[in-house]
Amino acid sequence: MKKVLVFALALSMALALVPGLTAQKKLTVWCWDPNFNVYSMKQAADVYNKAHADVNIEIVDMAQDIEAKVISGLQAGGAGLPDIALFQDFRIEQFLNDYPKAFVDLKAAGVDYSKFASYKVGPMTVGKAVYGIPFDTGSTGLWLRTDYIKAAGLNPDDYMGKNLKWSDIIKLGVAVKAKTGKPLLAYQSDNFDMLRIVVQSTGGQFFKDDGSLNLQSDAFKKSLTLFKDLNDKGLLYPVVGWSDWINAINSDQSAGFLNAIWMVGSVKSRPENKGKYMVIPTPLIEGVKGAANASNNGGSSWYVFSSSANKALAVDFLKSVWATTTPDTLAFYNTILKGAGAMGCYLPSQKGSNYTANDEFFYKSQPVFKDFATWMAKVPVLKYTPNYVPMRDAVAHATLLYFQGKIKTVDETIAAAEAEYKQVMGQ
Amino acid sequence: MEKRGIYQRYLNRFGWLCVAPSMVLFTLFMLYPILSSLYYVTRRWKGMSNTFIGLGNFVRMAKDQVFQAALGHNFLFMFVQIPLMIFLALLLATILNQGIRRFRGPFRLAIFLPAITSLVVVSVLFRVLLQANGFLNNVLINAHIIVSPIGWLNDAFWAKVTIILAVTWRWTGYNMVFFLVGLQSIDTEIYEAAEVDGASKSRQFFTITLPLLLPVILFSAVTSTSGTMQLFDEPNILTWQGGPANATMTAALYIYRQAFFVNADFGYATAMSYVVVLISGIFAVVQMRLLGERRAK
Repeated sequence: MKKVLVFALALSMALALVPGLTAQKKLTVWCWDPNFNVYSMKQAADVYNKAHADVNIEIVDMAQDIEAKVISGLQAGGAGLPDIALFQDFRIEQFLNDYPKAFVDLKAAGVDYSKFASYKVGPMTVGKAVYGIPFDTGSTGLWLRTDYIKAAGLNPDDYMGKNLKWSDIIKLGVAVKAKTGKPLLAYQSDNFDMLRIVVQSTGGQFFKDDGSLNLQSDAFKKSLTLFKDLNDKGLLYPVVGWSDWINAINSDQSAGFLNAIWMVGSVKSRPENKGKYMVIPTPLIEGVKGAANASNNGGSSWYVFSSSANKALAVDFLKSVWATTTPDTLAFYNTILKGAGAMGCYLPSQKGSNYTANDEFFYKSQPVFKDFATWMAKVPVLKYTPNYVPMRDAVAHATLLYFQGKIKTVDETIAAAEAEYKQVMGQ
Repeated sequence: MEKRGIYQRYLNRFGWLCVAPSMVLFTLFMLYPILSSLYYVTRRWKGMSNTFIGLGNFVRMAKDQVFQAALGHNFLFMFVQIPLMIFLALLLATILNQGIRRFRGPFRLAIFLPAITSLVVVSVLFRVLLQANGFLNNVLINAHIIVSPIGWLNDAFWAKVTIILAVTWRWTGYNMVFFLVGLQSIDTEIYEAAEVDGASKSRQFFTITLPLLLPVILFSAVTSTSGTMQLFDEPNILTWQGGPANATMTAALYIYRQAFFVNADFGYATAMSYVVVLISGIFAVVQMRLLGERRAK
C-alpha cells in the first residue's frame, strides 16, 4: 500500500512538470520599481496580448541586484536569465563590452531607430549593431518652489520657461536664502549626480576618445567650480541616499532641485506640493562651447538576451509595442506617461494628449511633460563608456572631500579623482 | 568474533552512506568552487575570457590604495569593535547571571534580538535615524550633549563610529549568550572558597571568572574576527557603498564592487578574496596561540 502511494506521488509530481516541458509561449522580463518600470511593461504586455492572447508575459520585479544576477547568468552561459531585461543606460556599455554576444541585435531585426531620441541610441550601439529598445528619458529640469520665490519678493513668472544662465540662478538662490533661509538646491552627496548633470549640459565628455579620463577639460573644471560656488554660498542642501533625498524634498528642506522628469511621481506623492512647483530649463553654463539648456540623468532601455529560448517572440513583442506606430501603441505611451510619469523616447508618441496637456498639479498648470519632451530633443550626447561607474565614484568621493574642505583646490580635486580611478581600475 | 567483524563493517558502510549525500553536496558546492577559483587567482577575467597574468593581480593589490585602505578599515573595526563588544558582552552576562534574577529571560531576549534581525532592514532603519536632522541628532541636541548635528553618515570619522556602533549593537547579545552559558558552568563552590579566603568581587572576577571563561572568549574572538573580515552589509547599506568617500569601505565590499560594478574583473576579485582568507587564517592562528595556550597549564 505504501509503495503504491509513493509511486502515485512520484507520478503526479512528474506529471506536474509536463506543462512546463511542452513548448509554451512565455516571456520573462526582469526590471525594477513596481510603480514605474513594472507598470509600464505591464501596459505593454496588455497591448500585445490583444493581438496575441496566447503569449504569457511574466514581469519579475528585481530590486537592487539585477545587474549582479545578470552577470552571474551571463557567466553561466545564459542559465537562469530571462528573455528581456531592463538596463540602466550608464551601465549597458560595460555589458556590451564584456559580453558582446549576449544580446540580440535589434537593428538587424528591423527596428527603426530614427524614431527614437538619438542620445538614447548612442550607448546601445556597437559598430553597425544596435541592441536595445530605448525606454524612459531622464530629461532634466530645474524644479523650483514658487512659494519660496514669492516669499523672496520675486515673481516666478519671470523665470517660467526661460533659458537662464547659472549666474541668474545664483542671484535667485541668494535672494531666496536671504528671505526664507532655504537653500535653493538639494542634492545627493553620495553620487553627486547634479554635478554630472551640469557637465553633460555643457556637451562635455568624461572620457576622451581613447578611453582615458577627461577631467582636465574646461567643461568639467567650470562645472566643478560652479558647484563649489553654490556650496560656499550656502545654496546647496546635501543628503545621503535616496530615501533622505525624497524626504528632504517633501519636507521643505530646500527650495528646489536639479533633476530628471522621473521625480514627478515623488513630487506628486505629497498633496501639499500642489500648485507650488514649476520646472524651468536646465540652466546654462557660460563660456563653454556646445553648452545647452538641457541635460539627462538616468534612463533605461530594454534588451533581449541571445540565450533566450523565445528570442524571436521577445523581439516581436518589443518591436511591435515599443517601436511601431499604431493607435494602440500611441495610446500605450500616452497611458504610461500619465500613469507612472514615464516618458518614453519614441518620438511619434510625443504628440499624445498627455504629452501636451496642462498638468494642474504644477504652478499655473504648467504642461511639464511637453516641456520635458522639448528639452529632451536638445540633450547633448554623453558617451558613458564601460568605465563610467568607477569614474562616477572617484569624482563623487573627491568632490565630497573638496566640499568638506579636506581638499583645497579644483586641480587637487581632479588629481584625487584621477588617482582613485587609476587605483581602482588597476592602471 | 566473525559476527562482530561483519556487524562492524555493516555499521561502517551504513555510516558512510548516511554521510555521503552531505559530503557530495559539500564537495560540489563548497570544495570544488573554492579549489577551482584558485585557478583564476593568476588570471585577468573579464566577460567570458580570461588571460594568464602571473602575479599581476598581486602587483595590482600592492598599488591599489583603495584596497589597502579597505583592509585598514577592517583592522580598525577589529581592534576597536571586538574588545568593546567582548567587554560589553561579559559585563551583561555577569549582570544577568548574578544581578537581575527576575526578568532575566526578557532581558536576555531583548539583548539577543538584534542578532536575528535582517541586516538590510536594520541598516535602512538606522540610516533614517542617523540623518543630519534625524532622530539621534535631535535627541542629543535636545539633551544638550552636542551643539550642532553630527554627520553620522557623511563625516569620515563619525561614519566609522557608526559602523562600530551598529556592529556592536548587533553582535553583543549573541556573544553574551555564550558567556552566560560559560558563567553558569563555573562551579559556585570556587566563588565560595574565594569569599572565605577574603577575595573581593572584582578580584574574583579577574582571577577566577576570566581565566575559566578563556575558551569562550577565544571562541568569540575567533568568530568575531572572521566575521569582521567579511563585514559587508553595514558598510554597503548603512553608510552607503563604503561611504563617505570610501571612509568605511571594507575588503568584502570592495571585492563585491570590483567583481560586479566597477571593473567586472573576476580574477582580481578572486585574488583579493584569497588574500582576505589568508589574513583571517593568520588572525585565527595567532588568537588560538595567545588565548588557547594557557589552558595547558
